[in-house]
Amino acid sequence: MSAVLKPAMTPLVKLRDLNVTFVTRDRTVHAVNGVDLDVMPGEVLCILGESGSGKSVTLRALMKLLPKFARISGSIEVAGKDVTKMNERQLANFRGTDVAMIFQEPMTALDPVFTVGRQIAETVQRHEGASRSAANARALELLELVQIPSAKRRLDAYPHELSGGLRQRAMIAVALACRPKLLLADEPTTALDATVQIQVLLLLRELQERLDMGVIFVTHDLGVAGEIADRVAVMYAGRVVEEGPVAGLMAGPLHPYAQGLLGATVHAGMRGQRLTTIPGAPPTLDVAPTTCAFSPRCQFVRDECLERVPVLRSPEPGRQARCVLVPYGA
Amino acid sequence: MEAIEDRGGPAQPLLAVKGLVKHFPLKGGLFGRTQAVVRAVDGLEFDVLKGETLGIVGESGCGKSTTARLLMRLMDPNAGTMIFDGEGVGENEQAGGLTLRDYRRQVQMVFQDSYASLNPRLTIEETIAFAPRIHGLSGEKAVTRARELLAAVGLAPANFALRYPHELSGGQRQRINIARALALRPKLVILDEPVSALDKSVEAQVLNLLVDLKAEFGLTYVFISHDLNVVQYISDRVLVMYLGEVVEMGPVDAIYERAGHPYTRALLDSRPSMDPAFRRTKPPLTGDPPNPVNPPSGCRFRTRCPYAEAVCAERKPLMANLGDGHIVSCHMASAGSGHSKAGRLYEVPPPRAEMVA
Repeated sequence: MSAVLKPAMTPLVKLRDLNVTFVTRDRTVHAVNGVDLDVMPGEVLCILGESGSGKSVTLRALMKLLPKFARISGSIEVAGKDVTKMNERQLANFRGTDVAMIFQEPMTALDPVFTVGRQIAETVQRHEGASRSAANARALELLELVQIPSAKRRLDAYPHELSGGLRQRAMIAVALACRPKLLLADEPTTALDATVQIQVLLLLRELQERLDMGVIFVTHDLGVAGEIADRVAVMYAGRVVEEGPVAGLMAGPLHPYAQGLLGATVHAGMRGQRLTTIPGAPPTLDVAPTTCAFSPRCQFVRDECLERVPVLRSPEPGRQARCVLVPYGA
Repeated sequence: MEAIEDRGGPAQPLLAVKGLVKHFPLKGGLFGRTQAVVRAVDGLEFDVLKGETLGIVGESGCGKSTTARLLMRLMDPNAGTMIFDGEGVGENEQAGGLTLRDYRRQVQMVFQDSYASLNPRLTIEETIAFAPRIHGLSGEKAVTRARELLAAVGLAPANFALRYPHELSGGQRQRINIARALALRPKLVILDEPVSALDKSVEAQVLNLLVDLKAEFGLTYVFISHDLNVVQYISDRVLVMYLGEVVEMGPVDAIYERAGHPYTRALLDSRPSMDPAFRRTKPPLTGDPPNPVNPPSGCRFRTRCPYAEAVCAERKPLMANLGDGHIVSCHMASAGSGHSKAGRLYEVPPPRAEMVA
């Protein structure tokens, strides 16, 4: 499960110097500014960040799901394949079999005019060339896999007939239909109630272990990352500012932004205390940052922060942060 | 700004809600006849004390937001009364009642969607000054008040007064909404998920602001949220709702440390552990909340409750008093209810998710 145990494996995802710029007539937004990420097979990586940090754009770039006006540079390698060089036909085969994605809002991800069973079976028929009856049998198997009660009856249900939690499970079933090696999850539990969110998180973790999938899970919620991640990458203004195993990061973040985020997350036992906040707001990214993007909000800012973008420093194996205050490891 | 005068004395509840009911008809068929009703709020009863923050928690569909809109009288209840500081809301003025116009001057609301709740064509200053002007303040005075309030919510009037909502970030817009709610010097502010749409670092800023403003202006809050950690942080008392009913209410420490109702316990146990070494392995509850169109008979939670027995389907549990204003609606809480664990509520092990190291 953990990447540390399997050092000889080749990464499932290899992102190098990913840059994404959205150019429209009105303005240019430098959404992602040089992201390097590796995900090992069977590993769960959480990308943690606030709105506008570039976490969802990074995720979508892995599947080439960005709009036409997005300018993408850098290398994107998933399951040994170069995603940047794929044409539409190759992408159609790649999506679903190698990589699948689940979204925050299942109602918009599922097709309202087809039954849940048909949508799953269609995926299986399209990608594996299975017969209709074989695909239908597989759809039932998948609904049982995602623990939908009375699965047989639910095959004939339309998305609007299901509750929020069941819809989310149905979407997971569609995504898993062709046993992808990598599952991309874009805040899949954010819209759910607490009691349902924990059910879906536990389900995802169980399925990930059983199917030995790599997962990239995007979230803004530190608590969710704590429940599901092996490793966490914290993004700010289109860059990874800190990365490391989840336990170390939650016990003691290295980067001042990650520290601020942990301090600002309200949890039990903070009653009566003043919440620590991060003053100010994130940059607008009309130009790509050439200094530490967090420096205007950072209480530890120094001259060297404003000279260039800080390099990633690794004080201990497996952890790194983009901050001049973090010591280099031995 | 001057302090708000107190009328009925500190012991009199600021707002007393009794038997509040709101059913929404579901129309359909050829003649648009009522096919069913959604029992969004079904017999709510609670007091909001002067100067407190009452937190209301529950899952989606439990009637939290309907309650907020009923408290604000943005919709009329099917039944029930509301007494605001000794005066009946919406009743005849001669009979000692309070007109809605006077009521709404003293009760204001902040909504979750900070953008949808601002008029995009008005500048920030006009937005905040709008209500005071309607309620009889001269234009000049209203603008002065708007600028004072902008400063109070931490936005420099010189920079923000003449800007439009689309030029601001979510956190800034929510500050504007709070300033607008305070413009009429209300006694009670109803906050319906005010920080749920904000990023964590901004959420902390707005929560700090709400705490400061409450002290500065002597406010009373009703704080509605699905985020249990935020409710614990900000509330003095907490009300837990399930399918349109109160299942438990009490001081914040009693609810978070000695929760009585199996639903409250499950809700608390659903929070992420914040420690990857102690992850949950089993969800505290299975399934989603039932549809409020036809809620279960008797105790509405029984379909998801691990301790449900025959009596739970037969009779609605009475509100049992656990002392210190901590009340819970569960057959296990009242002796002689017929439940095998009647009167032995705390002997039931909480349905804590097993944890692994």
